[in-house]
Amino acid sequence: MRGHGFLLANYVPGTSLIHRMPLWLKFLLVLACGMASFLIVDWRLAAGALLVMCVLFLLSGAGAVRLFRAVRPLLPILLVIGAFQWWQLGGPVAARIVLNILLCVVAASLLTATTPLHRLLDGVVSLARPFRRFGADPERFALTIAIMLRSIPFIAGAFADVRDSARARGLERNPRALVLPVFITTVAYARHTGEALAARGLGEPED
Amino acid sequence: MTQTHSAGTLQPAKRNRWNATDLGLIAVFAALVAASALVAAIPVGGLGVPITLQTLAVMLTGLALGPGRAFAAVGLHTLLGLAGLPIFSGGRSGLGILAGPSAGYIIAFPLAAAAVGWMASVIIRRTVKFRAVFLFAAAMVASIVLIHGLGIAGMMVNAKLDFAKAFLADLPFYPGDIIKNVLAVAVAIALHKAFPDLLVRRVRKVPQQPATPEAPKPEASAQQ
Repeated sequence: MRGHGFLLANYVPGTSLIHRMPLWLKFLLVLACGMASFLIVDWRLAAGALLVMCVLFLLSGAGAVRLFRAVRPLLPILLVIGAFQWWQLGGPVAARIVLNILLCVVAASLLTATTPLHRLLDGVVSLARPFRRFGADPERFALTIAIMLRSIPFIAGAFADVRDSARARGLERNPRALVLPVFITTVAYARHTGEALAARGLGEPED
Repeated sequence: MTQTHSAGTLQPAKRNRWNATDLGLIAVFAALVAASALVAAIPVGGLGVPITLQTLAVMLTGLALGPGRAFAAVGLHTLLGLAGLPIFSGGRSGLGILAGPSAGYIIAFPLAAAAVGWMASVIIRRTVKFRAVFLFAAAMVASIVLIHGLGIAGMMVNAKLDFAKAFLADLPFYPGDIIKNVLAVAVAIALHKAFPDLLVRRVRKVPQQPATPEAPKPEASAQQ
């Protein structure tokens, strides 16, 4: 089976204060940082908040390497934005914009680094709970998430298989030959999954 | 954020309740969007937002599943990506995406899938000839209005660019999008030939069918 690595990409086990914080509190922290990026107008305040978040990240035991890895994909873009806005709007405003984006990214990666994936998914499922009176069904929602997670490796494998077989027929430059079989496989796989669920009495609406 | 939250809740709350096959299609197409984001990413454009097969998968989800299920599938992908699963392009994830310059694109994906799905379901029911042209037009409208529109808005909000600059930063994506939409329509037409009851199954419940000279469909489809 290929492509399982994504399931344990971000979590760092630990027992720090942030690890033991309830998920909703961490979520509120991320939300507050997101709001702050619209409210903070002084770049020194933004730098201070970013420093606090970085210290929290390091205290959680995730390490400086992970902190850098969380920020790295954004760095070239932020450099372009920062240089451009410095030229357009001046140094303090450019610093505020870049620091606020960094603040949000560090806060969000603090959440994912200190919460195991199954807890995060439980949190997502619990989002559906308040809507139960409108007909939402958290169990079917959770079932759909579980099927999706187990399908990702299968489909990533299908992409690789189709690419191999296209290359074997000398069609590696033909986009239709590279993409169409994956989609046919996907629909067939989805239908088989649906039939398997129905055969076990799962996933049907109750009423 | 609000769109992605409603993705989870809209799902079971529909009047025409989804059965197990619909759940399977939603879950597996959400996985398809995730897998296509992970396969290969090419950074293009002024702000370095990577181009992937992801928009192709989003459009095809709409063209294949119709508005409701496509919105649920792509919305599920967005929701789980925001929750921290590394399934956005380039293996990124988390709520931090909403602060970056590509936030608008991420939010636009479920809406674009729903829009193109609605147009596709109308086209598949009403037209016989020139379907490819109509489907391509639908895909282009959805990607220009929703994906590029919200993408530009996202860059304006998060990178504080003005409209002209954000428009220029978005422009390099157009050629790739046109190619991907052509490919999406070609694949969608083949998909609807291979699975004729994928999108229009609910029409078959109507007692008196209009005599359309369409491709032959299986009489009793997989529906129980």
